[in-house]
Amino acid sequence: MANERVSGKAAQMGTRLASGEDLEHIVRPEEGLISRRIFADPEVYERELEGIFGRAWFFIGHESEIPERGDIVARQCGVDPVILVRDQAGVVRAFLNSCRHRGMRLCRTDRDNATTLRCPYHGWAYSTSGELLAASSEHHYGPGELDKSQLGLIPVTRLGSYRGLVFGSWDPAAPSLEEWLGDMRWYMDIIFGRTGEIEFVGVPQIWDVECCWKIATDNFTDNFHVYWTHQSLVELGLLPSDPDFASHGHMVTLNNGHILHFVQGPPMEAFQGLGLPKSLWPRFKEHLNPAQAQIAQAHGYSAGTMWPNFHWLQLVTTGDTKSEPVGILNLRLEIPLSPTRTRMYSWFAIDEAAPADYRKISYETYVRCFGPSGIFDQDDMENWEECTATARGPAAKRYALHHKMGIGRSPDATWPGPGTSYADSYGEMTQRAWYAEWLRRMRHPAQAPGAVQRPRARVAS
Amino acid sequence: MSVVREAAGAPADRCAPGKPLYGEILEFLYREAALLDNNEFAAWVELCAEDIHYVMPVRTTQFRARGAGFEQVSFFDENINSLRTRVARLQTESAWAETPPSRTRHFLTNVLVTGTDRPDEFAVAANFLVTRTRAEQAYQMFAGRREDLLRRVAPSEYRIARRRILVDQTVITSANLSVLF
Repeated sequence: MANERVSGKAAQMGTRLASGEDLEHIVRPEEGLISRRIFADPEVYERELEGIFGRAWFFIGHESEIPERGDIVARQCGVDPVILVRDQAGVVRAFLNSCRHRGMRLCRTDRDNATTLRCPYHGWAYSTSGELLAASSEHHYGPGELDKSQLGLIPVTRLGSYRGLVFGSWDPAAPSLEEWLGDMRWYMDIIFGRTGEIEFVGVPQIWDVECCWKIATDNFTDNFHVYWTHQSLVELGLLPSDPDFASHGHMVTLNNGHILHFVQGPPMEAFQGLGLPKSLWPRFKEHLNPAQAQIAQAHGYSAGTMWPNFHWLQLVTTGDTKSEPVGILNLRLEIPLSPTRTRMYSWFAIDEAAPADYRKISYETYVRCFGPSGIFDQDDMENWEECTATARGPAAKRYALHHKMGIGRSPDATWPGPGTSYADSYGEMTQRAWYAEWLRRMRHPAQAPGAVQRPRARVAS
Repeated sequence: MSVVREAAGAPADRCAPGKPLYGEILEFLYREAALLDNNEFAAWVELCAEDIHYVMPVRTTQFRARGAGFEQVSFFDENINSLRTRVARLQTESAWAETPPSRTRHFLTNVLVTGTDRPDEFAVAANFLVTRTRAEQAYQMFAGRREDLLRRVAPSEYRIARRRILVDQTVITSANLSVLF
């Protein structure tokens, strides 16, 4: 009996599904074949919760969202609700948004500023650095029944910050954030450090989409879709009429599944320097190394995925048919709610050094083009929902999606940055790299189930 | 009755419910809603003033003492050019979020009209419910309060000079906001 239980558990932790299919056979990134099953299957989703959302590093928020001591935003780390807080000493911390006593949600607003967090259920009160300050009516506890020193808020197991972006992981064995991001930091410097600091402006737009989270992540590294999905904007003249216009660039695959594109725009000044105002271009050389500065100067568009579900979009566009193109920095996060439902987050960010008139037009253009109302994004979400809806049935699950473009293309050794680079941004190398990391993580999904983490104070570096 | 009107911020004047001006404005709102529900977007955008500001702020959950939770960041922040672009987009056959088109219904209630310091401009507040369904999908619903500034340009003829769409949801439970409010 004991052996049966052990082997049963081992099978459950491998890649074989209850249906008898093996993820190794139905997800074959190196061949560009990705089964539709993984986009709607509850069993696959349950395994993702442990294997991916319990293990990887996840974006929680940006330090500029909590500038003052006591500032709090309610967020997720993976799929668990967390509080991101700047404590009274100014240290950025993140805790499970759940009282140690009965698990009640502690922070019940989207943002706040507070010196203490008091649970509505029984009144337990915590400091912004997570210590349990007081349980109410403590005299009813006998000796040894309430050890407050052991009942602080549950910190996000690993917390780190790079260029103001705060990431967390629930895996005590996860590599450091620096190691996890690896060479992706070299490219993040271009996006988040090109002119100095980047500021996240205000709160995110949040909305729910009836789609598998992986359909959305797939789309954020897909340049091939731009001409057809956004055809209406081609018709209106907001996008070029050349079907290959979004292909003139490079894509890069890195360790740990991180992926990105840099694309040149039309040969116009507005599409150089990442669409930033010309007055900021000299800063590239001050804040970046020569190769990074050259990439920033030469490109207008970039999309990057910090594996698995956090993305930057750097674009040059207009939000109407009368205006000049302007640069936009948009940050995106997908939090799965179920196999086929996903919560979307979209932030607008801008260089702190940006002049006021540029900030205004960049923001307005962002609102008009991106997020649920965006004249670009609206049509993407339509694809995500329909691709998910058609993956539900038993027949569809027998068939793979097609991710073969560029499978025989050789890397371009002339690219000045780290990683494996390919010329021509139409190709599915980045998607294949993303699914390869997904499969790698699904092979080794879980630590010992049910292990109780003792809280450890962790401080964002 | 006068107490009720005062409490609602509307003086017992020419804009009060039952007065001809109130009826005129109500009819304008109903005709405007019908244009949206009938996919007559080109006619709808003609009702927008050249200086329109059309905005739907993001809402967050806040403690009562911190206000209603309407943020600086918006879901819509439009001028006449961007609204015309949205309408032009809806008239292509490749705006996939509305191709094939959604079926919408705009419901307006609790309409209160207040005069302003300009004789031709009226502050119009209303509750809205917008339902949307497309393909075989279940209904998506958007509820909230709309605060308009309407400009009377001729008898029974108005232009929308400002529209604030104060949605109740902090998380929009719709894949996209491809409908107009």
